Amino acid sequence: MRIGTMFKDILKSFFTKHSTQLYPIERIAPPERYRGILSYNPSVCTGCSLCVKDCPSNAIELVILDRAAKQYVLKYHMDRCVYCGQCVVNCKFKCIGLSNQDWEHAALDKNFMVYYGRDQDIAKFLESIARPAVEPTSS
Amino acid sequence: MNILTSLISSLIFPAGLTLIVVGMLYEWVDRKLVARFQNRVGPRWFQPFADVVKLFAKEQITPGIVNPILFFGLPIVAISGALTAALYVPLIGMAPVHSFPGDLIVTIYLLSLLTMCTGLAGWNTSSRFSLIGATRTLTQLFAYEAPFLLALLGPALAAGSWQIGMINAFASDHLIALSQPVGFIVALIGLMGKLELPPFDAPEAETEIVAGALTEYSGRGLAMFKIGKSIELIVGITLVSAFYLGGLHGVLPFLAKTLAVLFLMTILQTLLTRLRIDQTVGLWWRFGAILVLAQILFTILLKGYLL
Amino acid sequence: MNIEQSLQKAEQLLASWNKEATHPETNRLDASIAADDLRPAVTALHDAHWGYLSAITGLDLGPDSGQMEALYHFCCGAAITTLRIRLPRTNDATLPTIEDIIPPATFFERELHEMLGFKIAGAKSNERLFISDDWPEDVYPLRSDFSIEQAKPVEGRHADELPDQGVVGGNTFVIPIGPQHPALKEPGHFEFTVDGEIVTAARMRLGYAHRGIEKAAESRNWIQNLYLFERICGICSHTHAMAYSMGVEKLAQVEVPARAQAIRELVAGLERVHSHLLWLGVAAHEAGFDTLFMYSWRDRETVMNLLEQLTGNRVNYSANVLGGVKCDVGLEQANAIKDGLNYLETRIRHYLEVVTTDTMFLNRTRGIGTISYDEAEEFGLLGPTARASGLVRDIRVEAPYGAYGRFPVSSVTETNGDLEARCVVRLKELLVSCFTMRTIIDNLPEGPLTVRMPRKIPAGETISRVEAPRGELFYYIKSNGGENPARVHIRTPSLCNWVSVLEKAVGRQLADVPMLIAGMDPCFSCNDRLVTTVSHTRSGHTGDGKSGERKTWTWKELREHGIEYYNR
Repeated sequence: MRIGTMFKDILKSFFTKHSTQLYPIERIAPPERYRGILSYNPSVCTGCSLCVKDCPSNAIELVILDRAAKQYVLKYHMDRCVYCGQCVVNCKFKCIGLSNQDWEHAALDKNFMVYYGRDQDIAKFLESIARPAVEPTSS
Repeated sequence: MNILTSLISSLIFPAGLTLIVVGMLYEWVDRKLVARFQNRVGPRWFQPFADVVKLFAKEQITPGIVNPILFFGLPIVAISGALTAALYVPLIGMAPVHSFPGDLIVTIYLLSLLTMCTGLAGWNTSSRFSLIGATRTLTQLFAYEAPFLLALLGPALAAGSWQIGMINAFASDHLIALSQPVGFIVALIGLMGKLELPPFDAPEAETEIVAGALTEYSGRGLAMFKIGKSIELIVGITLVSAFYLGGLHGVLPFLAKTLAVLFLMTILQTLLTRLRIDQTVGLWWRFGAILVLAQILFTILLKGYLL
Repeated sequence: MNIEQSLQKAEQLLASWNKEATHPETNRLDASIAADDLRPAVTALHDAHWGYLSAITGLDLGPDSGQMEALYHFCCGAAITTLRIRLPRTNDATLPTIEDIIPPATFFERELHEMLGFKIAGAKSNERLFISDDWPEDVYPLRSDFSIEQAKPVEGRHADELPDQGVVGGNTFVIPIGPQHPALKEPGHFEFTVDGEIVTAARMRLGYAHRGIEKAAESRNWIQNLYLFERICGICSHTHAMAYSMGVEKLAQVEVPARAQAIRELVAGLERVHSHLLWLGVAAHEAGFDTLFMYSWRDRETVMNLLEQLTGNRVNYSANVLGGVKCDVGLEQANAIKDGLNYLETRIRHYLEVVTTDTMFLNRTRGIGTISYDEAEEFGLLGPTARASGLVRDIRVEAPYGAYGRFPVSSVTETNGDLEARCVVRLKELLVSCFTMRTIIDNLPEGPLTVRMPRKIPAGETISRVEAPRGELFYYIKSNGGENPARVHIRTPSLCNWVSVLEKAVGRQLADVPMLIAGMDPCFSCNDRLVTTVSHTRSGHTGDGKSGERKTWTWKELREHGIEYYNR
């Protein structure tokens, strides 16, 4: 008959530091492979759109303004993304990635759409959707 | 003693408001120690105060089928019972506010008043969970009350008096925990049963019956029951440490001895699994009662021989 | 006896009713029979103790062919016999019930009825299991011509037709546990009729976390479905993904490289550690032993950090891709895993000691909820719940898949069948897993991580079974040669284990009930993903969201099955 089998654990814990991470005061960096926010490099992209095709939640849309000049805008629905990494696997040119730098995505408003690409391309795209007469190719 | 001093000592210091504050601080110590034993951080010092303030600020939802007099009155009776019981114990090491021969029995019954109010409150709200919680509370009361009272009787016998003040004075010369060790253990564990601390928290087992007898209480009523519970904590610990650990005369001995008892109770809380209600009753009536009766017999014989 | 002999024996047993037998895969026998011959065929297999009923799948072959199929899958070791019954696609298609021969078939038959519209003749209750009570009549979600517009809630009916409870005379009344209750980690509804403290009757409803995944799978392509199935459950997620990938790879006749298979087994082992430590904490919490709960969950953080380092996420690891794995085990990860495993092994041994020697915890677990070997077999239990009663149902041993041939594990059994035995089985399994994982890391085969998979999977059907931490997970995948699957049917282990709770709760105290529920390690999310439906819940929530679907399987009915079965 044994009572108090966890006595040693209790005694030890009393003299050691708590194992709780006091977030947000203490932030432990995630490991290298952690799948955080999307990153996109338009200069390597060819516009094949394989990433868009296999996304389980339709979180990416690729807008091709000019394929030859590599003017692409990636529309990313941050609220839909499940961080599965299939887009990274599909991309043959390594232009899309999920970096471990930014993973705190809680938001207070509903502006979930993020645009990736060169600034001038994004500006051009936003202009064009404000003027519905001219529609760029999108996929 | 004029009326003003009497009122102040009953309502402000050391009983009344000071008691409530100290009670909540002790509750914090208990929660923090349990957390540290479980390798967690635990709450900050003002947590129990914050809880009570929040509860007072919330809406009190009254279930439809309750008797409103009982529903609103029981928390008040419970907290007043606890506050009154505190008038007869040596709080914060000072002499009891009021004292008369036989006040030991009165104190213990006033403490039980709180448990009975909880049971009645559970029966009154008559939701499924509270009925079972009430049944368990009263069953447990039935189980530990006799051994606990007898365990407190041991030092009373040794001191030859039923008055808490006199027993306290007697105990400061004799360390009764040494001469009645079994009584000390039964008193300590009986106190855990009275306070419904694990392993005797079957009446409020959250994984089975949500919150037991107090399930339907919210807002002020719940706040008052909670305050009553922390007062009961302090009063119980004061009694046990006054009787067994050599009397309480002065603030520092009070703090040292009561915190030591609290520490022991916390260790027992974290080490042990919750007992089922039938196991609790079985334990008390089989071991608790027999042990304490043997202890009392021994004390009587000893006193008879020594004197 | 090996697979061929098993299948030959099955074919012989079914000879008189078998209209056409094929072998779609080396370990499968597919026998077409008529609906009237179902009962004699099942009786023949059952009396010869040829395996156990693993799942019943329903298929709609489309309005063009005008037919529906019901497939009864019996598994004996690695061999699977499927009884295929084809019926016209009307609302009167009737199948005879087999619940008197095989009690666990009731759940499967009711699912078949409410999803596809097969009528089950002779069933004790044709009540709904997962669909809510305000779902319109004669609208069957898994039919291929089902459309969202048909799913309008019936006016005046509550989604949750709870029978009136309340004080049932004297001391007897009904305690509801769930859907919201501190004891449950996920929603489910249990009603225990108690007399004082003793439970006298038990009933159960499921379907609160029902998300309609099987139908959703039909409109997504093969790759997207991988992530959908992974999210059926948080703690079995890798096994779901593995079962699905294995099935699809079999259909595409693609051989996954050895390194990928070994890594899959490694992640599965880590997931098992994660799942069982979580379960230990939950069981301790139900018993009131919060200290063990806190410590086992603290140690679970170690394994979650290992998984994060290896795969990139703590839950829903997404380690699998169709054709292999995504994440490689480099030197850094290997060392981290080995250190982590050393620490975990020490802790698991300590917990094993606590669970078997702590008197007060044993008071809550020893001798409670005892299920004997015969009862376990009759109720069709799976996983550690069955192994605690001595019944070895472990796919990793009976039908090794993936890298389990090369890195085998041994099955852990106990004979007592009570709650303590279930704790011990799970903890000892972890020790076996740790040993196997170390072997894998030290002997990881070289090679590529993935192999190329076609986008259109060739037509065919396949069955893949893997051992999830809770038992056998059964996937039936059918392809019509397109980019989307034609049908995916998933039977999770928790569905088969519910019987043990209801049966064993009666006669015990109310305080034992949460322990009994926790003892079979229920995974409500795994359970409730059967039918797909887009349903309008009370809050007007639409989309592939939760549907408040529920069915009552009354204990009384279940008990009658058991009694009648024993009296035969």
